[in-house]
Amino acid sequence: MAEKSYWEGSDHYLCDTELAQAFHISRTLGMPLLIEGEPGTGKTELPFQYAKAQGLELHVYPAGSKSNIEQFVAKFDHVKYLRDSQVEILNAQREEKGLASKMSTAGRDTESLGDYVSKGPAAKAFSSPNSVLLIDEIDKAPREFPNDLLYALSHRKFLMPESGEVIEVSEEDMPAIVITSNREQELPTAFKGRCIYHYIQFPEADKMREIIQKHHPKVSDKIVDTALDIFYQLRKIGLERSPTTRELLNWLKYIKTFSSKEAIDKLNALDGLGTLIKTQADYEKVQRQLALGGGTPPMGTSLN
Amino acid sequence: MFTTLPERFKAFHLKVDVRTLLLLQKAIDRELVKTIGDLYNVLRTFIVKSPELMGPYTRAFYDYFLSIDIRNGEQLHDAVLRSQTFQQWKEQKAGRLEEDMSRKEMANLFLDEVHITHYDIQKVIDGRELWEKDSGDVEDQDREEQEDNGEIRPLDKMADYSDLTLEELMARMEEVLKQQKRDHSGGSHWVGTGGISPYGHGGAAKDGIRVGGSGGGKMARKVMGDANFFPVDLETILNDNNIDAALASLKGIIEESAQETLDVKETINRGLERGGLFLPEIKNETDEKLQVLLFIDNGGYSMHPYIKAVQTLFRKMKTRFAYDLETYYFHNTIYGQVYSDAHRRKRVPIERILSKSPNYNVFFVGDAAMAPYELSNQSMNTYMEMTKHFSKCAWLNPEPLKFWEHTLTIQIIKELIPMESLTPAGIEKAVLRMNKNRKK
Repeated sequence: MAEKSYWEGSDHYLCDTELAQAFHISRTLGMPLLIEGEPGTGKTELPFQYAKAQGLELHVYPAGSKSNIEQFVAKFDHVKYLRDSQVEILNAQREEKGLASKMSTAGRDTESLGDYVSKGPAAKAFSSPNSVLLIDEIDKAPREFPNDLLYALSHRKFLMPESGEVIEVSEEDMPAIVITSNREQELPTAFKGRCIYHYIQFPEADKMREIIQKHHPKVSDKIVDTALDIFYQLRKIGLERSPTTRELLNWLKYIKTFSSKEAIDKLNALDGLGTLIKTQADYEKVQRQLALGGGTPPMGTSLN
Repeated sequence: MFTTLPERFKAFHLKVDVRTLLLLQKAIDRELVKTIGDLYNVLRTFIVKSPELMGPYTRAFYDYFLSIDIRNGEQLHDAVLRSQTFQQWKEQKAGRLEEDMSRKEMANLFLDEVHITHYDIQKVIDGRELWEKDSGDVEDQDREEQEDNGEIRPLDKMADYSDLTLEELMARMEEVLKQQKRDHSGGSHWVGTGGISPYGHGGAAKDGIRVGGSGGGKMARKVMGDANFFPVDLETILNDNNIDAALASLKGIIEESAQETLDVKETINRGLERGGLFLPEIKNETDEKLQVLLFIDNGGYSMHPYIKAVQTLFRKMKTRFAYDLETYYFHNTIYGQVYSDAHRRKRVPIERILSKSPNYNVFFVGDAAMAPYELSNQSMNTYMEMTKHFSKCAWLNPEPLKFWEHTLTIQIIKELIPMESLTPAGIEKAVLRMNKNRKK
């Protein structure tokens, strides 16, 4: 029986209540949870922290432009199979000639095809009940990939290549599946239909304060206030790529290396802006809009 | 149960069908739904499949389950305050609301109660248990005695509520919905929070306890005022607001595939290395080519309002995902040449365009409205040659669809090149057709 209790995050991870509930719904119904949202809002963290907190096995499949269902489920290792069958012939020949030493097949038997199936994260997760499976950034995968998953998701079943072994899991034992996407491409409707969907809202200042608290507990309130103020201002001015939670945390990581008075000055001077702003156009816009007074800009650009 | 739900939600452009209902049934069986707040959350995860659907979903939900009709552009507060459901809730609460509460605060309280989930209730119960366990002064026996005294603490009532089967609630709602249908103009029955609010259940007053709520009410409020949670009108001519929606449609033309093909060269090389043992070597062929030719009609005043939006759209497209995008300009229609600059000074003969790879996706953007004599044979031939050479062509027309049939030249060009309106929805249609025409 898989873990189905309600989980609200751990000491190091602040799980949004709505996300926690959606995650609980998905596990209770034995359906994958599809999380979308801006980059840097902690989508991938959820399964990592969940597995860690609950002491569960985690299987990760990072999707990319070359992802296919074989890598995800299992593939048959033809080369190993060929080598071993050659080894058998070779060993037989050596025996004929009275040679004692033999080459080993490392315990694999060419008769049982299952020995040559190398399992991918999906097959591993499905064969170990009560585990966590993460498919990261599925929007980066070719469009066929989510479509290929449809059968497996709705029937909870994978067919192993060549050996014909079927890996099946009951709804109760279904691993907790988390799928993340940055919405770089729309996922097929049929695929979304089989998932519990949750869109992570960008955290508001109060929530952000709690998140910062979890990551940088020692930073003083005053620094956090100043940083948050600037951060939300930056998000408001409509940049091409608005800074996100991850960038804010990095910025604070840099700022906290200074003494607290110095730190406030650094914040107000937007020192270390490079951690927040990632394009030249945005950088110029920030300078124009927030009208930086004094100090040389870290990137050495002229205004306008 | 809820047989009318799919139909009523569809009116808000949400995709709901019988599977949603089955899934809901399953969720109810698994005890995921115990309050109306739960119902909102559970249905949301089933129905809302992109952030823009949050707004329509919230509207549909309030309309269906609470009979609160949120008008276009209206804030949730106002919709709540003028609803009969709220009036009824207030009557039930009579005397138990704080005197100096503003109407807005009342609406907030109402929303918080509507959005209470069983998780919230559980938390309160857990919190109490924890507190009692921690308070060393009170020994177990004492507590038993206390309970024997028949003193029912408010929280016990809430625990009661969490045990309440949903069927009762559902049956009541269904009944009320039926009545509503009959009375139509909102008779004296509607789905009230009487059956919804844990406070109202059993008639016992539960004052003094505030369940914070998981913020569902706050969320619902936020969604109503936020453009991000409403679909941009996909039928509106391209403008600064819906450029991103159009861009999303355009993304669909990226050809992307990870096909496995036999790598002949590698098979031979590796086979030779293995001493003549040839094993098929497979290679993943990822093809992600996107080549676009864009022809913009920038002559005359008729096209003027749209050019900026079109250029922004395709410029964004180029920076985000097109590797190969060329823009050309023309006036009204294309004869033997187009221009590579917006001032139409640098000529590019059409032959040069036609010598490009047929894999290009070709977009014409123009109103296709001109004097009939302008659309000469030569011009029509040019279009025919282009569609013959490039299999993926589309004409995007900013002119409203209803005027198309009154313009002769639109009618003619439409026959030569598939035409769609210059709206996110139109672009999507054009892209879908282009994909079908892909050369295998």
